[in-house]
This record gives sequence, C-alpha cells and structure tokens, in this order.
Amino acid sequence: MKIAGNDILIQSLIKEEVEYIFGYPGGAALHIYDAIFNQNQIQHILVRHEQGATHAADGYARATGKPGVVLVTSGPGATNAITGIATAFMDSIPMIIISGQVAKHLIGTDAFQETDMIGISRPIVKHSFSVESAEDIPEIVKQAFYIATSGRPGPVVIDVPKDTTSPDELFDFVYPDSAHIRSYNPPISPEKKQIERAVEAMLKARQPVIYAGGGAINSNASSELIKLNDILDFPVTNTLMGLGVYPATHKRFLGMLGMHGTYQANMAMHNADLIIAIGARFDDRITNTPKLFAPNAKIIHFDVDQSSVSKIIEANIAVFGQVKDSLQEILNELESRRNEIDEKKLDDWKQQIKYWKEKHGLDHKMHLSESNEHPIMPQAVVQHVYNITNGDAFITSDVGQHQMFAAQYYHFDEPRKWINSGGLGTMGFGLPAALGVKLAFRDSEVVCITGEGSIQMCIQELSTCTQYNLPIKIININNEALGMVKQWQDMNYSGRHSESTYQSSLPNFVELVESYGHVGIKIEKNSDLKKGLEEAFAIKDKLVFVDVYVDPDEHVYPMLVAPNGSLKDMWLSKDNKV
Amino acid sequence: MQRELSIILENKPGALVRVVGLFHQRGYNIESLHVDPVTDLTKFRYIEERLDLKLEENEVSHLLIKTTVSDNLLRQILRQINKLIDVLLAEENLDT
Repeated sequence: MKIAGNDILIQSLIKEEVEYIFGYPGGAALHIYDAIFNQNQIQHILVRHEQGATHAADGYARATGKPGVVLVTSGPGATNAITGIATAFMDSIPMIIISGQVAKHLIGTDAFQETDMIGISRPIVKHSFSVESAEDIPEIVKQAFYIATSGRPGPVVIDVPKDTTSPDELFDFVYPDSAHIRSYNPPISPEKKQIERAVEAMLKARQPVIYAGGGAINSNASSELIKLNDILDFPVTNTLMGLGVYPATHKRFLGMLGMHGTYQANMAMHNADLIIAIGARFDDRITNTPKLFAPNAKIIHFDVDQSSVSKIIEANIAVFGQVKDSLQEILNELESRRNEIDEKKLDDWKQQIKYWKEKHGLDHKMHLSESNEHPIMPQAVVQHVYNITNGDAFITSDVGQHQMFAAQYYHFDEPRKWINSGGLGTMGFGLPAALGVKLAFRDSEVVCITGEGSIQMCIQELSTCTQYNLPIKIININNEALGMVKQWQDMNYSGRHSESTYQSSLPNFVELVESYGHVGIKIEKNSDLKKGLEEAFAIKDKLVFVDVYVDPDEHVYPMLVAPNGSLKDMWLSKDNKV
Repeated sequence: MQRELSIILENKPGALVRVVGLFHQRGYNIESLHVDPVTDLTKFRYIEERLDLKLEENEVSHLLIKTTVSDNLLRQILRQINKLIDVLLAEENLDT
C-alpha cells in the first residue's frame, strides 16, 4: 500500500508503540497533524506551550522508562521546545522531538517561522536528523528511537521539512525491523578483568560507600543493586537523580549526598576508603571542590558512558557497560567468593556512620507540632504528604528549596517515583512532568511539589490538565520569594535580596486554579496543615492545588560550604558550621 | 603539548560541525583543522578491520585537528568525539 509522508511518519511512530504525542500544531506541522487526525492509535496531548510538551514527554519517559515523543512546529514552536530538550539531555532521558520545518526550497531564505532547529539544538541532543525525503522517514524514526533509548539515553531531534510530509505524493511504507548504525555501537559488555578487580577491592574495603545515581535508574539496575548490597551490606547514598534506586527506608541508606545531602552521607563519602560509583557522574553538586574530594578513597566507577569516567574524579577501576549487566557480573563473581566476606570488618565503619547520623542527621519529627505559635515549616509539608500517600506517590518537583525539601523528606523506596530536573535545574518542569506521569499511570497518585516561583513558569498547563481530566495534586510551598536565591543572598550577599521577592504581586492561586475548573485550597496556619492536606488527597477526581504559606525565612540544610570546601564542610543551620 | 587528532567520520551534511561544535561546547580550542573526503582507502584499511565494516570511496571524511591539551584532557576529548553518532573513529595521530 502506498501512503503519503505525513502518514508514513505517524505509522512509524505507531510501529514504535508510541502511546502519546505531546505537542502543539502550527503551519509547518499541519500535514503531520492531519495524519494524526486520521488515526486513533496514538493520542495527541495538546499542551499550552511547547516547553510544557517537552517536560510532559520527559515526565512520561522518566516514570515509564519509555521514550517520550514531542511534536512542534517550526520557528517559535521549535525554539520553545529547547529548554525541555536541554533538561532531558542533562538527565539522559530518552525523548524524540519532531519539529516541523519550512519546505526544503525555502530553507535558508529566512522564510516565515524558519529557524535552524538542527543548529540550535545540536549541543543539547544525543543526535539529530533532517528529513530529505518522505521515503527516508521510516529508517530515520527507527534509528532515532534506537539512539534515544540505547547506551546513555538522550533526546533525538527529527527536523521535518513541510514538503516531505505532503499528502500529495505517495510511497511504499515498509518499517525496518531493526536499526543498524555502523558508527554507533553502544552496548559494551564489562571486561572480566575489571569485574574481578572491582570485587577484590570490595572484599578488601573497610570504609566503603556505594554512591548510585540516575544512570542506575536509567539502566533499571535497582534490583541488582539491592541484591548486591544484601551480600555486601555497605552503606548506600543516592544522588538527587538516583533517589529510589536503593530503598530510602533501608537501614543501610544514608540519604542523599552532595550540596544539600545528609551529614552522614557526606561524611561517609569524605572518609571512605572505597567509593563505588554506579551510574553517577561526580557532578559539581556532589564533589564540592574536586581536589578535596574523598582524599583516601579508591574509586570504582560503573558507567555506560566512557566519557563520564575520570572526567572530574579519576577512577581507579572503570567498569564500562550497562550498569545492570555489570552489577549482575559483580554478583556472580561475588557469589563465588562469598566465603571471603568478613562481616566484622565493617563494624567500626557502621558504628561511625551511626554516630554521624545520630549527631547531625535530619530530624524527621521536626516542626510537626500543630501549634500556631510558629509558621508552617516547609519540611513539615513534605512529611505530611509522605505520610498521607504512604510514600507511594509519584513526586515531581520544580527547582529550588521545595525541591531539596522534597528530596530530603520524602522517602523513595522505588526508582522512577521521584521526577525532577537535576542536571539543568529547570524551573517550570514540575507541573507538565506531572501531567505526563499521570497519563502513564492514571490510577496512581501523582503529586507536584512546587513553589510559587517555579509553578508560574509553566502554569498554563493547568488548562491542559482540565482538557484531559488529569487529577494530579499540586502542593505549592509558598514562601512568597525565590527561596533558594534568597537563601544564597542571605548567606553570601549579607541578606541583600536583589530581585528575589515579588512585592505582593502574587496571584490568588485558589481563584486562579478554580477558573480552570480545579479545586484550590489555601493553608496558612499550622493547625490547618494536616487537615487541609488530608482534605486535598481525599479528592480523587479533580486536580487539587494546595497553596501552603510557609516560613519565608527557612533555609535548606545541610549545605556544603563553597567555594573551596570539601564534602565534610557543611552548614547545619544558620549558625552552625562544621 | 600540541597534539593532532585523527578522526574518521561519515561524509554527510552536519557531521563535521558536530565535531567542531564539540570543541567549543567543552571549552577546547582548535589550532588547525583539515578535512578531506577519503578517496584513497589504502591508508584506512585498518579501520575496516577494527570496526568490522567495508568502506567505499568518498563515503567517509578524514579530519585532522591540532589542539594543545594535557594527557587527561586528550583522553576526555577523544571519548567525547567518539560518542558522536557520525564518528567512526577518533584517536591521537602519533605519526606526526
């Protein structure tokens, strides 16, 4: 059967088992939109801004592990998608972005809504394709999905000139079974010798720490990690991106590490004799000053991406390959040497960590009193949400203090439940990401923990939630300021709050969300907090926006001392530096 | 010290700019650059063996880039370039 380019594109996406396209129509994409109209296998989700489309697809991808698909028009449609593409790129999220382009004969003429999407997106994609002819579309789509999802995942752009999707020219449609790209061979199996060396180091270690990040989630390595540590019994810390890959309620879990990591996690890393990095990349929020990082530690680094290893911190033992496969190899090797494990060897180290945790660990009972003598504490909001949802919700967040409080106080026991922009730190991510998660998991509780700054960056997506009836919960931790900016200004700029407050210009959020048909709840008093949140979560069929006014002066602690600090140098409160 | 990188990449639109762009993105400097489509394959037979593929005339380009970097940075640059989808092989040219 012969079909036109626009149908070839949509049929190709159907072959890739795409459920949702997140997009926004426009001139250069109209042929494609017509092909969407003429089928019913893929549902298109009409967002209110292309940035929302990319974050929604991103949230969908993070929660499901499947690539998110975005469709935008040329020019402003394409440029509006850029922030979301960069967000996905920094966190290695599989995503396919189809951008309309002006017809081939107009390229380079400054035509209406023409922009060089391939050029603009080049530094923030894993790869990109420009369609030359409708006949090439099946091969390109196949390759794009293969590239986006294999190796270290990432976003792939397909730029589609309007004439290549013209309904007037028909072609045979044959979809390839597999993709082969001769210059791209991502799956490398770990070297046996490196596995042996890694196990040897693990058996010898007296002060080891496992440090697992987003790569372990991308590789679906959670069960291998848990099994491995059932044998090793090492302390485990997760990066912001890795939360959930090791159960937060496990007795060996130290909490998150890094800039706002727990005291015990940062101290354990600093004093370790062996750091086992699993799908983590020694980002600057983790290492603090690289030269001062973990001075006595030997590093084993598991990663699928060779360029992530020894980039910041030199690895002593590098194990390249999908971390899931590598950990399985380690497990096999360890099983055969199980008799060599001396459990007592770690006793002192475990005592030390217990001491650190008791001395300066996060106080999870803090500020839960219902007294109105003090303002609502943001940490208490997260703790109540954790209790009400039994720790079982998908939590998306935006960027800032609320994000750190959510990471610190919501205990993630499973991977893919914590959805946030760790690498790029994109405000505006939370709401559209929650929308994408909810579409994938209609029966699950999906909560966006946000702040009054971030939520206003993509607040238009409240309308999308109305259109598709997506009853998510939005918890707006409202401190009437750009809290993290203000915290830095308090700490580093003698409290000069340059442009970090809004001077009474905030909207009435309750009325705002109600105008979209949602439910708004405002909470201002401690005595109303628990009750108000319970009321919100009791509503199952509507989006509920809870606007919680919290202590505007609260800071996030611990906080690493920077610049020139190490991982042991932390602020633990406004007046306690260790 | 100054090194020369030898890079074999697909001879297709957009491939070269990905390599060149990467130098700027990652903060490296290009001191000299030379690129040609490969017409004489005799010098590059080893690539066919190493990557288990057959090259045709003009199908790939040979790119030579001179840059001044340390050993560690060189390794990082080469890994980054090898990650690019259109690059078949990037290595230090030790013949010079």
